[in-house]
Amino acid sequence: MFVAVSVAGLTPVVAFLLIVFWMGFWQGSPGDPVVYTLKHYRELFADASTYRTLLNTLGFASTSVVVSLFFAVPTAWLVERTDVPGKNLIFALVTIGALVPTFFTSMGWVFLLHPRIGIINKFLMDWLDLETAPFNIASLAGMGWVEGLGLSSIAFIMIVATYRTMDPALEEAARVHGLGIFRTLRYVTLPLTFPGILAAAIYIFTIGLSAFEVPAIIGMSNKIFTFSTFIFYKIQPQEELPSYGMAGAVSSLLVVLALLLSWGYFRTLRFSHRYAVVTGKGYRPRLVELGKKGWLLAWLFLGCYFVVAKLLPFLLLIWASLLRFFQPPSWAALEQVSLKNFYGLPWNLLLHGAWNTVLLMLAVPTLTLILCLAISWTVLRSGLKWRLMFDAVAFLPHAVPHLILAIAAVFASLFLLRNVFPLYGSLTILIIVYTISRISFATRIINNSLAQIHPELEEAAFVGGLPLLQVMRKILLPLLKPALVYAWLWMALLCFRELTMASVLVTSQGNVTLPMIVWGLWLGGSLNQAAAANLVVLAFMLPAVILYLYFGRRSRFTEAL
Amino acid sequence: MISITGLRKNFQSGDHDVAALGGIDLEIGKGEFFVLLGPSGSGKTTLLRSVAGLEKPDSGEISLNGKIVFSSSRRISEPPEARAIGMVFQSYAIWPHLTVAENIGLVLTHGRLRLNKSEAQARIRHALSLVQLDDFENRPARLLSGGQQQRVALARALAVNPALLLMDEPLSNLDARLREEVRANIKKLVSQLGITVLYVTHDQVEAMVLADRIAVMAHGEILQIGNPFELYRAPANSLVAEFFGSINWLRGRMLDGGRVETEIGTLVIAAPWQYEGNVILGVRPEDVKLAQTSAETENRLEGTVLATTFLGDQVTIEVKIKDKSLIVKALPDDAKPVGEVSVQLPKEKIVVFPETVAERSLDYK
Repeated sequence: MFVAVSVAGLTPVVAFLLIVFWMGFWQGSPGDPVVYTLKHYRELFADASTYRTLLNTLGFASTSVVVSLFFAVPTAWLVERTDVPGKNLIFALVTIGALVPTFFTSMGWVFLLHPRIGIINKFLMDWLDLETAPFNIASLAGMGWVEGLGLSSIAFIMIVATYRTMDPALEEAARVHGLGIFRTLRYVTLPLTFPGILAAAIYIFTIGLSAFEVPAIIGMSNKIFTFSTFIFYKIQPQEELPSYGMAGAVSSLLVVLALLLSWGYFRTLRFSHRYAVVTGKGYRPRLVELGKKGWLLAWLFLGCYFVVAKLLPFLLLIWASLLRFFQPPSWAALEQVSLKNFYGLPWNLLLHGAWNTVLLMLAVPTLTLILCLAISWTVLRSGLKWRLMFDAVAFLPHAVPHLILAIAAVFASLFLLRNVFPLYGSLTILIIVYTISRISFATRIINNSLAQIHPELEEAAFVGGLPLLQVMRKILLPLLKPALVYAWLWMALLCFRELTMASVLVTSQGNVTLPMIVWGLWLGGSLNQAAAANLVVLAFMLPAVILYLYFGRRSRFTEAL
Repeated sequence: MISITGLRKNFQSGDHDVAALGGIDLEIGKGEFFVLLGPSGSGKTTLLRSVAGLEKPDSGEISLNGKIVFSSSRRISEPPEARAIGMVFQSYAIWPHLTVAENIGLVLTHGRLRLNKSEAQARIRHALSLVQLDDFENRPARLLSGGQQQRVALARALAVNPALLLMDEPLSNLDARLREEVRANIKKLVSQLGITVLYVTHDQVEAMVLADRIAVMAHGEILQIGNPFELYRAPANSLVAEFFGSINWLRGRMLDGGRVETEIGTLVIAAPWQYEGNVILGVRPEDVKLAQTSAETENRLEGTVLATTFLGDQVTIEVKIKDKSLIVKALPDDAKPVGEVSVQLPKEKIVVFPETVAERSLDYK
């Protein structure tokens, strides 16, 4: 029975992938007879804009890797290997940082660094008497900066895990035999953590390649396309007809690239595990004593990081939300401050979006967990010959860009299932695609927990005469409960901030979600209203975040990456 | 060589403090092989790591070679790299990203000595020949077996010519046969080189084979310091006695004239004790003699054989005397007694402690 559920959950994953590849050879619009063609690939490789987009994407993803590692590596080292005070606070701030929607910070950064309205630009131009703005957020560097800041939380969590699996005695052996702090870092710590950091870099790069929100919010209005926005543009163009064939061709290439990178990620990760030693010794490693001066420097760095990555965009959004037209803070501007933007929000739509979002928050994590319990059980306990296939397929939604999953679903609903099962523009399609996209995350969490439960615990119950479902209910579920609660909350929160998949799946007021409303306002040019809507969304999200912090365990997160 | 006074360290465990080191005083001489022996949680590793500078004690003083490296009152706490030591870790801590030669070379070229490449090369060769790994120079360290890693760790620690060699359970991850072999090698090597060794183990056989002197630790205190013979024959309390092999305990009450009334009869003890009250007597199974093999009549008792266990090199016999059963070890050719038997307890082999001390030996120092 569990096997059947797993198959039911994993079939769409494979189907979506096949649809994407199929789409690339396909021409026509709904209802027309199907024509197969290589036209899209020919056009794609002949078009100069393809190569520009490729370069854009690579530049954008590389910048985000550099930026995220620049903040994540020192922060992880400070937390794991020094006596810097306030570690719990750092952890909490970084983890919450991972939950702040990227479209949120992106908007904040536009207000900061836009060449025309960005307040830092204006300030510097006034102060230094410059003709042109010194910074431009609507550039590859600018977009990579914002994306990198957003991804630094994940990079941090991954690199912390690398430090944790390294035997601290390896560093102690260097210290004891006369290497000082910096030589130990240079010759022992860095080379040993290098594979782990490299794995994190590849992981971040993969996310950067298919990242949608930053390019959509900052890049698209300035005609800077990356693959994700390029694909989106093919599906929802402003003038011409949508070209699913072209989107399919680009998506296929991106999927292949992403799968290759994931393969590289696992290779590197395996290499880094070679260095991991489980000592089984309970002592805490000697922490590097930074001294008062070091603490000050460390917190200066951390402070800059938190201010730049989270606080500054947040303050700017608050400021923007209070103004009719965006302008830098001044006495004159202060007089115009009002709550008009909030009053003027489309509240009916917002409430409807909130209702949809809440439904998603409840349905998606629950469904995902049911599917993934079955998958994990099949992989780890069933003894089935094909069980490792299940594991590999369950990993696919992680490697395949989520935007592409969504496009495959839209395509399927429009062209294949239109008359059988009307999904297009419904909340159900959102639930299905969101659920599928979270399968990798949830299976890995449950796999890790289930692997720690000795099979004899279940066998004892079987021998005692309990049927499979009862064993699940009475033995496994209680033992897995902490992991399940954690995964549920985390996935619920991700539903709140999901814009990428919603951008193609939400096609009507009927299935609109909160992030889509914010984005809609932003695209429509009412930036200040979008800022206000953004704050409202965050306010809706807050109770869930508090629940997460209360129940969540940070260690579980590191296991899932 | 090492001089430790009043060393204290508390660990937070839940909501209360646990003393990992409860005021340790210790003097170790130059060239001495000194073993810290104790069960896990006794504070022996914390003490070793404090000497290395890997753990910072709360108070007290440590000096190495006459130089103070830690003093809470003078606010001195030298980092590990400033202390002239070599160390072998329990996990060996062999750097997996380097070759065997690089593992040793790194501490020579970038450690305290800062040797140049060619000087280092000669030292690497020498160190590897000491541990019989001459041909392993270019082997990636992560491909070594546990025993080989252990030897590289020892070569690395010796290569820097340390005044003091610290070893933290270096044999506990080896299998039993290899352990015996490596144990013998270590003993030969350090006595050749004449270095001072501070060695941590929980294995009393290992401690007795290697040590010039042993400090037995429990609950962050040193229970007794002495050479292996003293600790075995004259344990300071019942805990030390139990740590060094099995022992039969008898409850009793002191009478006059060196006699003790015990649960199996009145026994004579060797040391004239000026003590009135309840005592506890200990006698090791191998010291109890079966009457057939002894003509001695003092402390001779009659009993019944309950069980006999043949162990190859010896026989363990459980003898019931009154309501108490006594374990006796004998050679296998002493025949296997059945039924009635008489045993004899040589008085010079009996240890005696006041009962309060025996029961609460940790409060006694």
